[in-house]
Amino acid sequence: MPGNLYSAFVEGTVKGWKVATQNMLPNVVIAFALITMLQTSGLLDGLGRVCAPVMAAFGLPGEAVTVLISTWFSAGGGVGAAAGLYSHGILNSAHVSILMPAIFLMGAQIQYAGRILGVAGINPRHYPVLYGIGILNAALAMLTMRFFV
Amino acid sequence: MSDSCVSRRPLPLSAYAALIVTIVFFSGALAGAPGILGSLDFTTVSGSFGKIAGDFTFLGKGGGGARYGFLFALSLVPGIMLALGVVEVAERMQALHAAQKLLTPLMKPLLGLPGSAGLALISSLQSSDAGAAMTKDLHDKGLLSEKEKTVFAAFQFSSASSVTVYLSMGVALFPFLCVPHLLPLGVILFYKIAGTNLMRLYLHFAKRNREAL
Repeated sequence: MPGNLYSAFVEGTVKGWKVATQNMLPNVVIAFALITMLQTSGLLDGLGRVCAPVMAAFGLPGEAVTVLISTWFSAGGGVGAAAGLYSHGILNSAHVSILMPAIFLMGAQIQYAGRILGVAGINPRHYPVLYGIGILNAALAMLTMRFFV
Repeated sequence: MSDSCVSRRPLPLSAYAALIVTIVFFSGALAGAPGILGSLDFTTVSGSFGKIAGDFTFLGKGGGGARYGFLFALSLVPGIMLALGVVEVAERMQALHAAQKLLTPLMKPLLGLPGSAGLALISSLQSSDAGAAMTKDLHDKGLLSEKEKTVFAAFQFSSASSVTVYLSMGVALFPFLCVPHLLPLGVILFYKIAGTNLMRLYLHFAKRNREAL
């Protein structure tokens, strides 16, 4: 049994290595590069100003919208964007905590539409509602997290 | 492994113990606890990189862009490996089946789904692909109606593979949180259930509207 568990542990860490290097790392590198592009071009400031009123409802600065946009494409990108904005001092730990559940609740919807809804054979008529529920979950979760930070 | 054979065989106590220890391990509840208990903490066991020039890790200071992103991502790799290693051990000790057993009676009241979908539900928290394939299989066997399948999809689609993704990608943000590490995961699971019930309501009213026409 202990040998069996040890081999399970090794299997798991190998899985972790694969997820980390193939899914997480490329997405984080791209997210950091994009944040830097947005920042040096001044677009991040503009985006932040435009989205500030909406994001303020969630207790977040306007720039945090880039986390939500990135995560919609890939959760790894959302995580990377949050870490990038944190390292630039634009987000603090309260902001990251508020964003944390939302990053996953609305994460990678396009990718999962194929992998979950497609595989399970869900009627495409329901796709818009399913997308909407994911985004609504994220919005409500951000409001909920405001009480904990 | 079919779900019927899983539910009939009694689970060893070690399965429940593994489930509880795994949850405690990732919760951060034992961080800084004295003696053996303190060693059962994810952040403690993940450890830290050595310091360079007194204050900094190999990430240094003032980096940015793709290069900094690469080093940052690299610094997360050990934590992800450790997390998924622990999850795999817990799974081998049947912690997932213990969770399924505890959950089965709650399926109908919480989600409006039959208890037979319990294994698919627990699997979907670990692997969205396994969950989706099992959902299709349950439907093909007549254990889930078309409506139940759609309701179940709402659960799986928002925060897919919740536990695995949270304990791999999410680990990256653990150091920046000002709340207990597992609290956001609890909020995620709460809204997955809430969203599933929203889907139930929607399908209920969509059907009524069609009948009214």
